[in-house]
Amino acid sequence: MTSITLENNDYKKEIKQKTAKPLLWIGLMSIVMFFAGLTSAVIVSKGTAVWETIQIPSAFAISTVFILLSSLTFYIGERSLKNNQLTKGKLFILATLLLGLLFTVTQYIAWTDLYKNGVVWAGSESSATGSYFYALTALHLLHLLGGLISLLVVNIKSIKEKYNTENLLGVQLSSTYWHFLTALWVYLYLFLIFIA
Amino acid sequence: MSATHHHHEEQDFLFKYIFSQDHKMISKQFLITGFLMGFIGMVMSTLFRLQLGFPGESFWAIDFFLGSWAENGVMAPDKYLALVTMHGTIMVFFLLTAGLSGTFSNLLIPLQIGARDMASGFLNMLSYWFFFVSTIIMLISLGVEGGAASAGWTIYPPLSALPQAIPGSGLGMTLWLISMAIFIASSLLGSLNYIVTILNLRTKGMTMTRLPLTIWAFLVTAILGVLSFPVLLSAALLLIFDRSFGTSFYLSDIYIGGQVLEHSGGSPILFEHLFWFLGHPEVYIVLLPALGITSEIVSTMSRKPIFGYRAMVTSILAIAFLSVIVWGHHMFVTGMNPFLGAVFTFTTLLIAIPSAVKVFNYITTLWKGNIIFSPAMLFSIGLVSTFISGGVTGLILGDSALDINIHDTYFVVGHFHIVMGLSAIFGMFAGVYHWFPKMFGRMMNNTIGFFHFWITIVCAYGVFFPMHFLGLAGVPRRYYTNSEFPLFDNMLDINELITWFAIVAAFAQLLFVFNFFYSALRGPRASQNPWRANSLEWTAPVEHIHGNWPGEIPEVHRWAYDYSKVDENGDYVNGEDFISQVVPLGPNEKDGGH
Repeated sequence: MTSITLENNDYKKEIKQKTAKPLLWIGLMSIVMFFAGLTSAVIVSKGTAVWETIQIPSAFAISTVFILLSSLTFYIGERSLKNNQLTKGKLFILATLLLGLLFTVTQYIAWTDLYKNGVVWAGSESSATGSYFYALTALHLLHLLGGLISLLVVNIKSIKEKYNTENLLGVQLSSTYWHFLTALWVYLYLFLIFIA
Repeated sequence: MSATHHHHEEQDFLFKYIFSQDHKMISKQFLITGFLMGFIGMVMSTLFRLQLGFPGESFWAIDFFLGSWAENGVMAPDKYLALVTMHGTIMVFFLLTAGLSGTFSNLLIPLQIGARDMASGFLNMLSYWFFFVSTIIMLISLGVEGGAASAGWTIYPPLSALPQAIPGSGLGMTLWLISMAIFIASSLLGSLNYIVTILNLRTKGMTMTRLPLTIWAFLVTAILGVLSFPVLLSAALLLIFDRSFGTSFYLSDIYIGGQVLEHSGGSPILFEHLFWFLGHPEVYIVLLPALGITSEIVSTMSRKPIFGYRAMVTSILAIAFLSVIVWGHHMFVTGMNPFLGAVFTFTTLLIAIPSAVKVFNYITTLWKGNIIFSPAMLFSIGLVSTFISGGVTGLILGDSALDINIHDTYFVVGHFHIVMGLSAIFGMFAGVYHWFPKMFGRMMNNTIGFFHFWITIVCAYGVFFPMHFLGLAGVPRRYYTNSEFPLFDNMLDINELITWFAIVAAFAQLLFVFNFFYSALRGPRASQNPWRANSLEWTAPVEHIHGNWPGEIPEVHRWAYDYSKVDENGDYVNGEDFISQVVPLGPNEKDGGH
């Protein structure tokens, strides 16, 4: 008779298969609330504080294109792995990582543009409007760093051919998080246009 | 050979007691840490009660506990503010959020739904250790230069945003914010696990409508936590930016010592919005687990099915939903548009409906029951009492027209201590007395428990009931002394009385501490199901094993409240006045709760 114990690896694996995705989804809920808090703070501030007009740097638009593309490549990469097209999968997942890095670079460029236009983060020259611009984008980027790390892991594992039709959980978790970051960015970008 | 053996034992100890991933051990870690913090919070309150009851008098106790904070045994005014702030913070977050949810969600969720452990034992362990680190940082903040945070547990800017504002606004405030950020991470990790475990790992037959009400309460509490704590984190982050980087989210046109500061364009009201969007759900994060525990104990100890199971679940959900749309009732005096105030008044008063449903159901469950007055049952009934008497004054404070008159007076202090503080701590005590045999395999002493309950409830009402009268007379909260105002001279006697009750109540808790540790080590061994209860945790063996049940996980066939069930002849079904959830339904038997 084999009794099920926690030390049993099959059992552990089964629990992980069952719970990893819901854990991620509820984690995403909390991130949604975090940004809901921040963006509703912007709306409250807009009603009460002195509000400035800000020229949105075009680099943010380019960022948006990059991150949308990266979601597309991740989607294709994941589907390829699912259909056991390992080489195609590897390439598209690598492309996702590169696009993610390009997004990060364009965010930095956007900040320098903001700074050149006299929008500063803090100090006597700063305004709440400008500070929100930096805070919202930087906090999104902070979450994106987590996504990049997970993409790095997924890339290494896919190069080692650890993923296939049967074993995709890691890719699925990473891609769910990545698509979420894309959606979050699109929301924030539209929101920035709205508040500027 | 023996060296490696020794090494193994050391490792076992480390992973069994310190870095355990077993939910039962993590639950004990939360309990002990939470109670330790609660004890510190209680000592603080007793000390500042001494100052309020006997303003300016010298006490050896103040001298002993506070040392340099109290010259010649008299508490310094700024230290009074620090103590009030830390008392609130510790009690609300460390004892009644992490201590209560951390202990009972961890202990009961896997055991009552029939799971071997939480969804992720690792995240669960992290949750405790984040909590532990935040505890340590909060305690360290007591000893730093300038003292601990002193802006009140609600840390409103500008006091909290400008390091030079008051002594406690310096390093103490910074550490407070760091500690709370880590605390929020801990709370989120815990909540994630609780929700996913309940939704995904229930045993066969454990449908949502067969869940014990404890589990429903823990589930909704965790959902509230996931929705509201991130908002507090966003508020705290903006505050940190203002404090440490010079942004102006909450600050505008501020002068300190005749100097105008650089900040401009922000609004401190914004912080209040963000804070209370967490702050009000937080009340229910504290309260709901206690209500869940009470449901379970009231039913078991009345030997009757819980009255209105579905109504109980619906009320929990309704309370949770309403709790996120009422935060404005904390802000009626911020210059809020009176129409908006009326909206918040309306949503706030609506909470009375599901709350009344719950109270009604507790009382109808008790009605004509074969009540067993165990200490756990007494504390549960105590909770019903405080939930009523604290709830009624909530109607007064929820109404903007009335609230404006007594805003920030002792009426508010009396109200929330009874409805949230006492109810939650009574629920926690009830839970400890009831599930002690499950946690430690031994029974607590009933007689000491009775003394603990009766002294506590009498003194608790003695402390908080008179505060309503102080508040109605206009005595403001958070003042260092009320003896400077001739207006309040005739209130000094009441303050003295309150302090005496507080001292006795504090000493009565030593009974509990003794009972707890003595029983954990020397108490009589518990049988597997000492309360003859139905829920699944009592089908697991007394000895803890990682995985909870030695063989297969039990299958569930009925709800958890089949007490005193009789057949058509008037005899007990099964020959006992309880039927465990694992017993299959008889041929003509209907499942309860539907």
